[in-house]
Amino acid sequence: MNLLDIRNLSIELKTKNQNILAVDRVSLSMKEGEVRGLVGESGSGKSLLAQAIIGVLDDKWHVHADRFHWRGIDLLRLDIEERKSILCRDIAMIFQEPMASLDPTTTIGEQLAEAIDSKQLSGFFWQKQQQRKEAVIRLLHKVGIKKHIQCIRSYPHQLTEAICQRVMIAIALASRPVLLIADEPTAAMESTNQGQIFRLLASLNQLKNMSILLISHDLENITHWTNTITVMYSGQFVEAGTTEQIFNKPLHPYTRALVDSSPKANLQLPSKSRLMTLPGSIPILQHLPIGCRLGPRCPRAQRACVEAPKVQNYHGHKVSCHFSLKDTY
Amino acid sequence: MSELLAVEGITKSFKLKRNWFQKKEFIALAPLSFSIESKKTLAIVGETGSGKSTLAKILVGAESPSNGKIFLNGQLLHKQQLKQRCQHIRMIFQDSGTTLNPSLTILQLLDEPLKLNTNLNESQRRQLIRQTLQKVGLLGDHMNFYPHMFSGGQKQRISLARAIILQPQVIILDEALAALDPSLRSQMINLLLDLQQQMGLAYILISHNLGIVRHFSDQVMVMSQGEVVERGETLSVMKNPKHKVTKKLMMSQNFQLKHHK
Repeated sequence: MNLLDIRNLSIELKTKNQNILAVDRVSLSMKEGEVRGLVGESGSGKSLLAQAIIGVLDDKWHVHADRFHWRGIDLLRLDIEERKSILCRDIAMIFQEPMASLDPTTTIGEQLAEAIDSKQLSGFFWQKQQQRKEAVIRLLHKVGIKKHIQCIRSYPHQLTEAICQRVMIAIALASRPVLLIADEPTAAMESTNQGQIFRLLASLNQLKNMSILLISHDLENITHWTNTITVMYSGQFVEAGTTEQIFNKPLHPYTRALVDSSPKANLQLPSKSRLMTLPGSIPILQHLPIGCRLGPRCPRAQRACVEAPKVQNYHGHKVSCHFSLKDTY
Repeated sequence: MSELLAVEGITKSFKLKRNWFQKKEFIALAPLSFSIESKKTLAIVGETGSGKSTLAKILVGAESPSNGKIFLNGQLLHKQQLKQRCQHIRMIFQDSGTTLNPSLTILQLLDEPLKLNTNLNESQRRQLIRQTLQKVGLLGDHMNFYPHMFSGGQKQRISLARAIILQPQVIILDEALAALDPSLRSQMINLLLDLQQQMGLAYILISHNLGIVRHFSDQVMVMSQGEVVERGETLSVMKNPKHKVTKKLMMSQNFQLKHHK
């Protein structure tokens, strides 16, 4: 059974003049214990999708979906309070800028203690304070912070970015989630620190069987850590498959361009040669092309592309393109 | 080919104020020398606090070195002659959105360095701006736009236009490619490589993406705590890294050079 199963989720922004379809019928499914990468450039709606999953979008965004199942429970049928309690219990999220997401006016220890649900603590009320303290220390050890006494006493600005991100992960782990959504956890971080954070996430996945949805704008950064990848472009679903499928046999011209344009993936390329690129730039939300939104930039675009393509499934490798690269392999 | 830019024994140290008797110095850059030829790219990699940004600031003249000399085309660059330096050594920053003045049009932005450094009259300046915008892949008519009307990739192109408008010889790219989306980044890399061939530019690339460093640079310098720990031809350094800092960097990015003849 799938852990998370979303079909044709659309997110619409209603403004005075026009309605903008920021995310257009995207499907996403996750299995238990899977690390899925969600890749898309800026403006592709990947963060919106994540926010829609945990339900923190405000009222101006309208979310529709054909199916939204969490472990077999249809979340669309539940009322808001029930949905919230399920999502709170099972899903946690970490954000892009750890420094900005932590409260600057309270110490790390207090923020962590706040995140621990009192249902997890057993014992009488006079024991709870002590238990909470121990739970905080255990959480910090879990994310690899050894100097817990120092860390508990300090404020976010006194710690480095990587440690703050670890604290964020610790807060997310406090509720023992089944799914962790990591929205660009390593953006603007040193590469050595990036490696540490990714290794920590990978070990949590292995040891606790926690599923992770890893959101990133860069395909090459996350391929080492993911089992499956979903690619989005400008709010539309592009391609989904296992990491090997995406990297070795990309079916969509956009994925192909992403793989080809990364200098790291093409090490056999002589240095200083031209990289393959797509012409033009990413369309802005107010002026989205009709049909397949890659159309104006796509090397294989033809007349049929003014209509949005249907998703085709080749042995679990899903692609949304009229003229996929399937025949070229 | 002769050396374009040569740096000899540059150091930088900051004084830390403790008290009267315990004066302490923080050494940001240990004595450091290197040279670079035209049409070549030198990459500088290292962690934060390794002094690579300090080095870039010293080269463009935003900071003065505590010691050492910088030669451009065999001529010594003096501390006072900033004019000469800012014509020949230009810099592009990481975040193009915040380095462009939002209250000026692109015309005014690009006009400023021309007014300060050249004797061209107004129509000549306009012509040059139009040409430069076309060179970086924008339209001449874009000069009447304000920075907020452009996307991130286009803003980075405008920063590049501002850098090359004075026909410089050296351009310093301080993480200039890090914040761009992958498809725009490869466009930018292609553009930079083309310009290097056309104008004979030398680049100093500060980056921690080893894939880009491998593709873009001829020589590489690995820095750690103000010192150069390893240097050499990019490919040979990456094939067998010697110092542990280099190894750690490559490990952290799962970076291995396999396919090479």
